[in-house]
Amino acid sequence: MSLLSEIFSDLFARQDHILTRMDPRTKLIIALGALCAVIFSRTAAFPLAVLVLCLAATLAVGVPKRLLGLRLAAPLGIALVLLVLQSVMAGTTPLWSFVALGAKVTVTREGLLVGLLLASRVLAGVSVMLLLSAVTPAHRIFHAMRMLGAPQGWVEIAMLMYRYIFVLLDLTAEVVAAQKVRLGYAGMRRGLSSAGQLGGTVILRAMDQAVSTNQAMRVRGYTGSIPLGPLPAFAAREGWILGAVGVALAGLFFATEALCK
Amino acid sequence: MAKGRTDFLLLLTLALALPSTGQAMHISEGILPPKWAALWYAIAIFFVAWGLRDLRVKSAREPFFKPMVGLIGAAVFVISCMPIPVPIAGTCSHPCGTGMAAILIGPTLSVVVSSVALLLQALFLAHGGLTTLGGNIVSMGIAGAFTGWAVFRLSRRAGLSPWAAAFLCGMFSDWATYAATSFELASALHGNSSFLHMFAAIGASFLPTQLPLGIFEGVVTAGVYRFIAVRRPSLLECLGVEARRCPLVPQKTGGAK
Repeated sequence: MSLLSEIFSDLFARQDHILTRMDPRTKLIIALGALCAVIFSRTAAFPLAVLVLCLAATLAVGVPKRLLGLRLAAPLGIALVLLVLQSVMAGTTPLWSFVALGAKVTVTREGLLVGLLLASRVLAGVSVMLLLSAVTPAHRIFHAMRMLGAPQGWVEIAMLMYRYIFVLLDLTAEVVAAQKVRLGYAGMRRGLSSAGQLGGTVILRAMDQAVSTNQAMRVRGYTGSIPLGPLPAFAAREGWILGAVGVALAGLFFATEALCK
Repeated sequence: MAKGRTDFLLLLTLALALPSTGQAMHISEGILPPKWAALWYAIAIFFVAWGLRDLRVKSAREPFFKPMVGLIGAAVFVISCMPIPVPIAGTCSHPCGTGMAAILIGPTLSVVVSSVALLLQALFLAHGGLTTLGGNIVSMGIAGAFTGWAVFRLSRRAGLSPWAAAFLCGMFSDWATYAATSFELASALHGNSSFLHMFAAIGASFLPTQLPLGIFEGVVTAGVYRFIAVRRPSLLECLGVEARRCPLVPQKTGGAK
């Protein structure tokens, strides 16, 4: 569970770095633009370029390689599955064949290219998200989403959830440790029973916390809506950054698409 | 025959290559083509708006409701991070949690909570993504929550005990999530090959792990429900499982004249 807390922590986003100092709205718009360009790309070159740039930036911010590898493990597996699936299921031009477990498997040229494109899109998209979360605290991303039209009710729920996830993760870690000491996970039957008790405990504690939070908020004048305050003005400097990065991304997109057609 | 063998090999590859079945419930960033991503977003936005409308109406009636939904959302999110052993796959996975959320706060609010949880998972765990958020909300939030809620209600009306109803809710919400995910993936990725062929291949690749995982999620959901019902039955009344005045809601004081 401490690992989960580490993963959800916005520790790196609080460091002093050129990327962490940027307005979260600028970063969110750039991330969305990059993601759109990635899914519109027709060759693997642009997504791979985005992947390299984002991974380099994430490491430059100081995210440990171990944490980066941990976060990328699942998408890597998914990318591999996509590559295999598309290579042997799509396309008509045989590239090579092999026999496995008595069955002939044919890898096609078109399938391999589509598989590479999809795999590179997955990895590029994930790396964009990793960079965004590494340089922007979650509550600032939620605030930035208000500018893009996210409803206030949704933002309030998001901020409450994010705030209390850490409290409940700590509680869960304590309960799991206590259950393990009492052999609560020795065997399938006891494990499932312990998991049910753990889930119930977390929900009951969440309700107790909700009562306390509600009382505390009412004392501060809460009447059903959390005041989120106005968004700060968008600085001219941020506009320049947005324009420069946008032009660079567009240039990279069209150059890679033209060169690798 | 050769085709059948190739399919078998494919399913084997998929079953072995999927790093963790729990992560496979989310469609990863970049997989969905733009038109499919837009379609699932449009459907998801409608349901999220419906959930937010419910939230607004209920919290206008009772301000306690919003913190309660936020906290239950956080709890369900944490529970969805709990590892569950999957013996057939020889690995661990985690529950979706949407069935449980649907019992506790209803399906429309579960969609809202799921949308937040999915965004957090996309940002911090690299599960899912922004362009696939709509698709993931449809499969986890909408299909999972509405199926779970409907199964729970129908089971209760059919006279099943709350534990049995909670078990079926957890199990079917999990399976519905994977069925919807398979549908979304197959519709986006089948290309020139048959949609049904791709749907069957993806669905079958989930079967070895999701069949037992769905049952385990049902057991855990029933366990959670039982624990709450025994330790704090007032909570289930508060959440509308029983139509009585919620004792946890702070009562309005008479006020000074």
